[in-house]
Amino acid sequence: MTALSGGAAPGGALAPASVPRQAQDAPGDRLLEALRADGAAQTAALREVHLLMLRAARHQVWRMGAMLPGVGTVVREEIACAAADDALTALLGKLDTFEGRSRFTTWAYKFAILQAATEVRRLAWAQREVPLEDTGTWWATEAGPEDYAEASDLARAVTQALDHALTDYQRRIAVALLVDEVPIDVLAERLGTTRGALYKTLHVARGRIRAHLAAGGHLPAPAAPAEENHR
Amino acid sequence: MTRSHPMLTKRQAEALVVDTEPWLSCESCFHLMDRYVEAERAGGSPDPAMMTAMQHHLRACAACAEEAESLRELLESDGGTQED
Ligand SMILES: [Zn+2]
Repeated sequence: MTALSGGAAPGGALAPASVPRQAQDAPGDRLLEALRADGAAQTAALREVHLLMLRAARHQVWRMGAMLPGVGTVVREEIACAAADDALTALLGKLDTFEGRSRFTTWAYKFAILQAATEVRRLAWAQREVPLEDTGTWWATEAGPEDYAEASDLARAVTQALDHALTDYQRRIAVALLVDEVPIDVLAERLGTTRGALYKTLHVARGRIRAHLAAGGHLPAPAAPAEENHR
Repeated sequence: MTRSHPMLTKRQAEALVVDTEPWLSCESCFHLMDRYVEAERAGGSPDPAMMTAMQHHLRACAACAEEAESLRELLESDGGTQED
């Protein structure tokens, strides 16, 4: 499993303890039961779930095909098969956490989707340098008056907020993810951190930018900035 | 490394000011994704707070949004049968 192996339950109002169980699909129930059993029934169920994983992984690799130009059908199939294998392992490790709040098949699909998407993004960026700024003084640089004239008020205000409202680390993460469009799991891998940690940093950075903009009258509501224990 | 960036585009600027409250992590998004996509297809959920938090996260997180959209498509292509 990748950076998302934690699967932490959401807290507070987001944990709907009183939500009735969704209608379950009988075949999904059967699969679940068989997976938890032993012997031939379990082997058959594993094969069946692996086919589900393969279907979802192929779908994901196909969806993201544009990220893999020059990668042929055979290699794409290999990527999907490997992702399905890894996703099945991840799913089996999480089997006890399945709460029956969705269909088992829907729950199963998401493991393969995550695995395949992560792998496609990793491969797509494998040969690419991830741009990361080490200094925070590069924003007010080379844009001439005509560039500023063409930029929207919002873009100008946000540029200023990047310079003044963020720490160096927050700026590097926000710019890499949202300006240079480095995929979050790729960036996490390069920085030796997790997708979750990077998203948290981005959340805090966005809160600071919004607060800065609100103070300057560029945003209506002064959103309470999320405070951080992160860099 | 110091690079000079051109000015932000409107799309980049908007992405930088997306409101990500209420807070939902990528891990929790993954945890809820199956429930959320099914509730969307069913036309609603008994847990509007969960739906709102998911909607905000998916607007703010490209990777999770891609994965949720893919799950939607898969369920869609399973069609009305929903039995596998
Ligand atoms: Zn996310």
